[in-house]
Amino acid sequence: MIVVRARSLVQRFGDRVALGPLDLELAAGERLAVLGGNGAGKTTLLRLLATVARPAGGRLELFGLEATRQRERLRARLGYVGHQLGLYPTLTALENLEFFARLHGLGREAAWRALETVGMGELARRRLERLSRGQQQRLALARSVLHGPELLILDEPDASLDAEGGELLGTLFQGRSVVMATHDLALARRLCDRAVLLRAGRDAGDPWAPWLLRDGLGAPGGSWHRARAGEPGGEASSLAPTIGSAERPERVRRG
Amino acid sequence: MRFAAAALAVAGKDLRCELRGKELLPALAQFVVLSLVIAGFAFDLGSGGEARLSPGVLWLVLVFAGLLAFGRTFAAERDSGSLEAMLLTPAGPSAIFAGKALAATVLLVACEAVLLPAMAVFLASPISLAVVATVTLATVGMASLGCLFAALAAQTRARELLLPVLALPLWIPFVVVGSRAVQVAMSGGGFGAWSPEGQPYAVLLDFDILFLVVTSLAARFVLDD
Repeated sequence: MIVVRARSLVQRFGDRVALGPLDLELAAGERLAVLGGNGAGKTTLLRLLATVARPAGGRLELFGLEATRQRERLRARLGYVGHQLGLYPTLTALENLEFFARLHGLGREAAWRALETVGMGELARRRLERLSRGQQQRLALARSVLHGPELLILDEPDASLDAEGGELLGTLFQGRSVVMATHDLALARRLCDRAVLLRAGRDAGDPWAPWLLRDGLGAPGGSWHRARAGEPGGEASSLAPTIGSAERPERVRRG
Repeated sequence: MRFAAAALAVAGKDLRCELRGKELLPALAQFVVLSLVIAGFAFDLGSGGEARLSPGVLWLVLVFAGLLAFGRTFAAERDSGSLEAMLLTPAGPSAIFAGKALAATVLLVACEAVLLPAMAVFLASPISLAVVATVTLATVGMASLGCLFAALAAQTRARELLLPVLALPLWIPFVVVGSRAVQVAMSGGGFGAWSPEGQPYAVLLDFDILFLVVTSLAARFVLDD
């Protein structure tokens, strides 16, 4: 089953094209990493997939349904964490999750279960404003899975997480389709089946393709930032301008 | 059923956040009392004429307190991304809007619970059941309109400027009907005293129903662009 199917997807802000035209497909259970520098269009793509923004052009289907017209039907099947956590500072961790559980038509048990999943059961009665940024991020992740979504859309979920965060994300990803934007290539390679590299809003190829790996861009532990900054090991900075014009590399799967 | 449950959950969350954060209610109470003190000096109340001026003072204070109360309903939600998080649930924009409007109404009623006794103290205004009924009826409609425009204004940079520009013209019917009803009520009239001229309570109730329906239909387009 195809979970995400985007055809010539375009997003504009004023006259500026922020994304696309972009084609994308994601099968059920598949995990896709979205990579790219700042302003490459990662967040824009994720917001479109999460149905919180409408595309300016093209067609987007989620679970076979037209995303713009059917978004209220689709949303129960999606879990999304963006840059902003979308939680309430004066409520406790449990109260935050209970509130969103009620909006999903679920009870307190679902909130507790989600809290335990992210390892925050002991902090249930603590207000959000008294939690660390990483703990708040865990709570946002808990909110995104409390209703058992089939597709998880995460925008840099690892940004504030500690060393165990990768394990947590791996646990949350089990049995789900995932689209995750990240700057951490090592994490992306560990958790995702394939990746798409965005550059100026366009698909610039698979960063795990052998020809890019050979040149350092997708090397394990390497980073897109470093490559762009031209730092040691970032030979791809000179390569990057050619990515868009190069013959599109054949998609390869990891492993 | 699900609509009501979602709306109540949103309203409960808003009120709980306000009770914990204590950001709006103390400021509103202070605003109300200071406004009445200023009105007392500005209109030289105490030298007669309170009965004529009191309804006007009441509506002026209520309108500006409303702008303060509704201005915050959606701005913080939008800035923190929590509105987006709510919209990603199956609750639906109309239920979310209804919950926000309900919480804003409760906060404004709490503000009125300070305003009306303060008017009795500072302006010697007679506060009767008819006055309370008029103000409460007007509050419901004003809250639904105010919340809709607050949601609209929250999407812009000049939200503090835009809300009064949008809300005040549509609050005029409430102020016109409400101030006449309050004037009659303060001069000793009851619920039926003004019936030959249009039954203000029925008119306010009609406004409430009209604006509640219109705003809940429009909420979907305003909240979920």
